[in-house]
Amino acid sequence: MSTEPDAQATRKTVLEAHNIVKRFGGAVAVDHVSITVGAGEIHAVVGENGAGKSTLMRILAGILEPDEGGVSVDGSVLEPGAKASLEAGIALVHQELSLIPEMTVAENILLGVTPTKFGVIDSVRQRKIAGDALDQIGVSVDLNEPVSRLSMALRQFVEIARAVARNPRVLILDEPTATLTPAETDYLLSMLQRLAARGLAIIYISHRIPEVFRICERATILRDGQVVEVMVIAETTPNAVIDKMVGRELKLDLQTRRVANPGAVVLSARGIQASRVNGINLDVRAGEIVGIGGLVGAGRSELVRAIIGVDPRTAGTATITVDGRTTNINGYGNAVRSGIAFVPEERRTEGLALNMTVAENITLPNRAALSTAGFLQRGKIAQFAMRLAEVVGLRPPKVDREAGEYSGGNQQKVVIAKWLGREPKLIVLDEPTRGVDVGAKAEIHRLLRELADQGTAVLVVSSDLPELLELSDVIHVVRDGRIMGTLSPDEANERSVMALAAGEKVARSS
Amino acid sequence: MTYTELIKTPTPSPSRKTGRNRTSQAVAWVASRGIFVFTGALLVFSAIFVHGFASSVNIIDVFHRASAIGIVAIGMTFVVISANYIDLSVVAQIATSGVILMALSPEFGILGAMGIALFFALLYGVVNGVSVGFLKANAVVVTLGTTGIGVGILSLVSGGTIFYGPVGGPIDAFGDARVGPFPLSAFVLIAVAIVAGIVLSRTKFGFMIRSYGSNKQATRLAGVNSGGVVVGAFVLTALAAMIAGFVLAAYSNTAVSTMSDGYDFRALAAVIIGGNSLFGGRGSILRTLVGVIFISVLSNILVLSGFSFAWQQLVTGAVIVFAVALDALARKAEKR
Repeated sequence: MSTEPDAQATRKTVLEAHNIVKRFGGAVAVDHVSITVGAGEIHAVVGENGAGKSTLMRILAGILEPDEGGVSVDGSVLEPGAKASLEAGIALVHQELSLIPEMTVAENILLGVTPTKFGVIDSVRQRKIAGDALDQIGVSVDLNEPVSRLSMALRQFVEIARAVARNPRVLILDEPTATLTPAETDYLLSMLQRLAARGLAIIYISHRIPEVFRICERATILRDGQVVEVMVIAETTPNAVIDKMVGRELKLDLQTRRVANPGAVVLSARGIQASRVNGINLDVRAGEIVGIGGLVGAGRSELVRAIIGVDPRTAGTATITVDGRTTNINGYGNAVRSGIAFVPEERRTEGLALNMTVAENITLPNRAALSTAGFLQRGKIAQFAMRLAEVVGLRPPKVDREAGEYSGGNQQKVVIAKWLGREPKLIVLDEPTRGVDVGAKAEIHRLLRELADQGTAVLVVSSDLPELLELSDVIHVVRDGRIMGTLSPDEANERSVMALAAGEKVARSS
Repeated sequence: MTYTELIKTPTPSPSRKTGRNRTSQAVAWVASRGIFVFTGALLVFSAIFVHGFASSVNIIDVFHRASAIGIVAIGMTFVVISANYIDLSVVAQIATSGVILMALSPEFGILGAMGIALFFALLYGVVNGVSVGFLKANAVVVTLGTTGIGVGILSLVSGGTIFYGPVGGPIDAFGDARVGPFPLSAFVLIAVAIVAGIVLSRTKFGFMIRSYGSNKQATRLAGVNSGGVVVGAFVLTALAAMIAGFVLAAYSNTAVSTMSDGYDFRALAAVIIGGNSLFGGRGSILRTLVGVIFISVLSNILVLSGFSFAWQQLVTGAVIVFAVALDALARKAEKR
C-alpha cells in the first residue's frame, strides 16, 4: 500500500507504552519494550514463537501488570487492571476465542456490559447495540443464533464485534487469521482497514508476513522480549522482516550432526485429516529423526496426535511396520501396543502423574512387564526404574521421590525414561525440551541421537528452531495443517524454515 | 508382614520442602494426618467421659454397626481414588443383595441366592462403570439414576415386604455368631479390608486406579484402557456393597427394600473423613477404616448421650463439610 513517508508524523499518538518490563520467575519475557501507535494506524507486532508478543499484548490490555514501565492512552497514564484498560478504550481480541458457545450472538457481544432496565436484561437495547457493532464491521449474522452454531470465521467476527461494541480507541488482535480460510482472511483484513480509516488505532499480531505487508503501516519486531527494530513497511521487504525476526546467525555446529543411516519405513501416514489437519502424508524410517516445524497454531501437535491416534482422525490411514509386520494404527491403545511411544507437549498435565513417585510413573507404561499374575513386583520395579533413571541421567537418581519434586528438565527425562522401558520402535516427541534448562536439553538431544543411532524412528515437533535444525535429518514445515515444504539438512536454516512457516515464498538456495 | 502394612497404601505426603509458609504446611499436615489424631482423641474422650461407652456390650454394638458401613466404604474408596467419582447407588445395591438373599434362599438355597445377588452386583458395577468411564457421564447423576431404577424395581417386585429368615437357620446363626466378644461381621470387614488393601496397593489393577486418579490424561497416554479402569472400580464397589447387604441382612435376619437408607451418606462420610482425597489419586483402605471408626464412635456417643437421630445427622454432616474443605484447602496450599 502507498503510505506517505511522513504520514506517521502527522498521526496523533493514541497508545503509548513506555519501557515495559515483565519477568516470569527469572526469565525476562518482555525487556524494556516501548511502542507507539497513532490514530488510524495498523501497527504490526511480529516475532518468533516465544518472542514476547502475547505477553506484551496482555500487559497493554491490563491483564498482566508490568514490573516496570507504563501504558498511556491519549496521554493519560492507565491505572493497573483490565477494567481500567477497557474503560480507557483498549480492547483485546484474544487468540483463543473467549465466547460462550451456548449464548446467542447478541448476548456474547455485550457480555460483561449487558444493558439492564430495572435490573432486568434490556434485550431490545442489547440487540440494538450488538446489531450496530456488527454493522460497523460489515458482518451480518442472526443476533439470536447461539454461537456454537457459527463457523470459526463468524465466531472470530463476533469476537471483533464484541470489542468494537465497547467503542474502543485501540483494538488489539492476536493472530486473528490463524483459523481462517484465505477468503475469510481477505474479508477480515479489509474490515480492519475500514476500522482504521475511521481513526481506530489497531495493533495486529501475526506470524503471516504477507498479511502484515498488505495492511500494516509499521511493524515492531520483537525477539527474545526486546524490540529489534521498528520498520516502516513501505520501505522494507518481507525477507528483511524475516531476517530481523530470526536474527541469529546460522550457528549450527556441524560437528554435532549425526550421519543418519535410515532403514526401512516404520511409520507411514497417508491422507491424514483431523481438526486443524488438512491432508498429511508422512513417513518416518528406522534410525531417522524427522522434525516437524511451523508456527504456533499451524497444526503440528494436532498432526502427530491424529497420526498415532491420541486424537480422532476424520480421514486417512497410518501404519507402523515392525520386523516386517505392518499394523494399522486405529487407536492410541493399538499404537502403544505396536511399539509407539509418545512424549506429549504438556508435561505436567499429560506426561506425568506429579504426585506419584518417579518409579510409579515409570511403572505405568511398563506395568505388564513388571507384574506377575496381576501383582506388581516391587523389587523388580525399583531396579527397573533405577536403571532407566541412570540411562536418562535423572539427577538426583531417587526413584522413590515424587515426580513433582523434580525440575522441568528432570521431569522430562522421567517421561522419556518411562517409554524407553518398552524399547519403542517409534518415539514421537511434542516439544521435547520446552521449559527445560540448557544442560538437560543437551542431554535429551544426545539421548534422541543415540536412540536414532540404535535404529529407533524418531518424530519431533518443536517450536525451537535451533533444536529442530540440530536434531532433524529432514524437516517438514507445517502451515494451516498442511506440509508446506520439506527441507533436507543442507537446505534447512532458520530463514528457509521461517519463510515456509510464515507463508513467504523464497527461492531455495541449493 | 503385619496387618497394618498390608492394608496401607503408600500415601504421598502433600507437604514438600520448597517455599511453603507455615499455615499451608499446617493445613496440609492436618488434612493428611489429622484424622488419626482426631480418632485417637475421640476414643480417649469417649472412654473417659461418655458413660457406658467402654462397656463390652456397647463395643460389640459399635462393631456391628461399623461392619456394614465399613465394607461399603471400602468399596467406595476405589471409586473415590479412581478420580473424584462417587457411587451413590450403593443404597440400592445393598438392599438388592439383602432382599435377594432373604427372599430367594428358601427356593434356590443360600449359595444360589448369593449367585443371583452377584449377577445383579456385576450388573450395577458395569452399568455405572460404562456410563462414567466410557460414555463420560457424570458419576453423581448416573448413580443417582441407577439408585432410582434399582430401588424402584426392588419395591415393585417385593411390594415393600419384609423378608424374614427362618429363626435358627444358617443366616440367622451367622448374624448371631461371636468369636470371643466380636461378631462375625467384624471379621468379614477385616477380610474385605485386607483383600481390598492388597488389590489397591499391590496389584497392577489397583496401581492403574491410583494412577488414573492422579492424572487421567497421563494415564491414558501411557496406553492404559482408562474406561476399563473406571468400570473395574465401580465393579469392586458393587461387590463390596453386595457383601455389606449379606452382612446387614444376617445381622437382623430380615431384609426390606428400605434397609440401607442412609448408607450412601455414611459410607461416603467415612471415606472422606478418613482423608481420601475427593480429587482422586490419594488415599488408602486404612484411611477409610479410620474414617469408619470415627463416624461410628461419633454416632455411638451421641446416642449414648441421648441425642436424637437428627443430631447425629447434623454432626456427621458438619464433619463432612469440615473434611472436604480441609482437603480442598490442602490442595490449594500445595499448588502455591
